[in-house]
Amino acid sequence: MIPATWTDIPAPGGLPEARRAAMERYLAQGLPHTRQEDWHYTALDHLTRQPLHPPAAGDASPVIDEAPGHDHGSSASPAIDGGVSETKRMPGAAGPSQTRGEDAPPLQGGVTHLIFAGERLIETRSTLPTTLLRALEEGDLAAAPTLAPGTALSALNSALWKGGGCLTVPRGQRLERPVFLRFLAGEPEAMLHPRSLIRLEAGAEAVVVETYTGATAANYWCNPVTEVELEPGARLTHVRLIEEGAAATHTGLTAVRLAAESRYALLDLSLTGRVCRNELHLALTGVGAACRLDGLFLSDGRRHSDHHLRVEHAVPGTASRTTYRGVAAGRGLGIFDARVLIRPGADGTDARQDSRNLLLSPHAEIDAKPQLEIYADQVQASHGATVGRLSEEALFYLRTRGIDRIEARRLLLAAFAGEALGLVAEAGLDDWLMPRITARLNEIGESIQ
Amino acid sequence: MLEIKDLHVAIGEKPILKGISLTIRPGEVHAIMGPNGSGKSTLAQVLAGREGYTVTAGTVTWQGQDLLSLAPEERAWAGLFLGFQYPLEIPGVANVQLLKEAVNSQRRRKGLPELDAFDFLERVKASIKLLEMDDAMLYRGVNEGFSGGEKKRNEILQMLMLEPRLAILDETDSGLDIDALKIVARGVNALRGPERAILLVTHYQRLLDHITPDHVHVLADGRILASGGRELALEVEAKGYGWLTEPSPPAPLPQAGEGRGEAGREARP
Ligand SMILES: Nc1ncnc2c1ncn2[C@@H]1O[C@H](COP(=O)(O)OP(=O)(O)OP(=O)(O)O)[C@@H](O)[C@H]1O
Ligand SMILES: [Mg+2]
Repeated sequence: MIPATWTDIPAPGGLPEARRAAMERYLAQGLPHTRQEDWHYTALDHLTRQPLHPPAAGDASPVIDEAPGHDHGSSASPAIDGGVSETKRMPGAAGPSQTRGEDAPPLQGGVTHLIFAGERLIETRSTLPTTLLRALEEGDLAAAPTLAPGTALSALNSALWKGGGCLTVPRGQRLERPVFLRFLAGEPEAMLHPRSLIRLEAGAEAVVVETYTGATAANYWCNPVTEVELEPGARLTHVRLIEEGAAATHTGLTAVRLAAESRYALLDLSLTGRVCRNELHLALTGVGAACRLDGLFLSDGRRHSDHHLRVEHAVPGTASRTTYRGVAAGRGLGIFDARVLIRPGADGTDARQDSRNLLLSPHAEIDAKPQLEIYADQVQASHGATVGRLSEEALFYLRTRGIDRIEARRLLLAAFAGEALGLVAEAGLDDWLMPRITARLNEIGESIQ
Repeated sequence: MLEIKDLHVAIGEKPILKGISLTIRPGEVHAIMGPNGSGKSTLAQVLAGREGYTVTAGTVTWQGQDLLSLAPEERAWAGLFLGFQYPLEIPGVANVQLLKEAVNSQRRRKGLPELDAFDFLERVKASIKLLEMDDAMLYRGVNEGFSGGEKKRNEILQMLMLEPRLAILDETDSGLDIDALKIVARGVNALRGPERAILLVTHYQRLLDHITPDHVHVLADGRILASGGRELALEVEAKGYGWLTEPSPPAPLPQAGEGRGEAGREARP
């Protein structure tokens, strides 16, 4: 059962009040339902029929594979070294403000991994901070969850979260290697509300990878909220990889705020999990801020993947580029529901949305709904959405070259998905990420007659 | 090696090919000419295994086996190649990737080890050079943004890499400038050999200046109206198709008699 009352979670000063207020916000709204416009395509009724509960202490998490630089198994979980105070004493961070951009000096300290099982931190490999809870305990008030919009589910997360990452990259610093926040779930009926905060101070640069993984058979619910705050000139590449268990429900929300001249690049990958809803609320609040939102969702079997994007251009001279590719097979369902709002005064905005989708079987469905709301002048805005099938002509052409049907389909699917995967190589994640995506694409390609 | 017997093909209810018979032996070059819409591409596509056509009668035998029962890729493995009249653009699949997949699938079928990256590239580069293509084209999407002539050259590149036993080239000469035509002809001639055969579909006899055919056939309205030697092509070039398609014009023009019959033309019923 989703709690109907306040659940106390030990937390530093001030938070219990905030949690209570959040719980009240949640209770006032209740679980989203399909009669609400924003939830038109995704039903969560099944959650009310499950005896959901907070995860037990000993979580049966799946074994995770290697991530780049992740030397899994060579050491037992070390304690968090340094904690938040370490952030403030990061090598090279103490000096006067650094230049931003290409010249930003890389941070020492190598790879950062925070791995959570259930909501418990089980492994840290980091000279960086640390968890959100820890940050709050250390009195880092800026870490208090604030950005996330007041949706019912984010309110529930605000009320109930226990674990989650907290990353602050100091002014002018560039992280040399990606930071991994990995969330593992394994316990049936568990209800997880991880909370993460990623802050890049002025001119800082980082690649952050969030992964959500779970045991195949467990029908857990993961409801993470991730807040991203980019100060002027900061640059973040953010990968969200959904590889939830086949019976899992995922309702993630990412809230992003971009200050002047900052750059945000998202790679939203939804590969597995029974019902997935990815919500993105992004606000370009500083002149010259720009974002690139790339996504790929693969829905086969009875999988449901709903991508709900809300992009807001609040000031002049901002840009957004959205490129999503969707593939559905079997009785899979995919949804691309994106709205770009260009507020009055946000003149000279440049906003493009491009959603292309492939249906591989007669019962698969993809709903693509790109929307533009323009209240400013001199705006360059476009949106396009297509839903089609693999080109028989292209398949035939390849087959006449001796490439068999399955291989030909594989090539075409990879080419199609590749249009949204430019960030994989740009983030240096090719070796780790491409095989997982390719394996899923091949699985889907081979599943059709 | 290829024997087409009384082939009838329809698209939906509409008959397109109305009884084609044609035999191609190893080492031969055949040319098919004919007016627009006469069924030349249909014949080429049916031979390559395209779906959507109904073979209503007739047989096609390829090296002793029933060609029509094979999937397109099986036909390719058996040594058949089709150069498309309109080569497809496949963005996102690099040209080099297509070539590599194609060559290696064929090798796997033959039980040969896959070419390693070095040997493969060596071979591609040699063909690229022969065709005076730009290396950069290897790394672009298949035919993506290629000019008409570049696409045709790219078809020939694929052909050279696959070394087919029978290459069917559907208007590979259309849209080529004079130099490109020579280059493409050079590519085709490089493939010629006693074991291989070529079937050229063309509107222009000038291609045949560079690739000398052993047999020329005129296809009109789904039938082969005439077959002959090289001269038939010249005759068609000079006179068009009218004299073939209208067997009994009310009053034959005086000039129309010249050259008739000397090509050993076999008019078909
Ligand atoms: N999918 C189709 N549906 C209906 N008719 C078709 C289809 N494809 C081809 N045809 C018809 O079949 C006939 C033969 O076409 P084909 O492409 O084989 O001609 P062609 O001889 O290659 O002509 P060209 O010299 O112009 O290339 C034409 O009348 C064409 O309109
Ligand atoms: Mg044609």
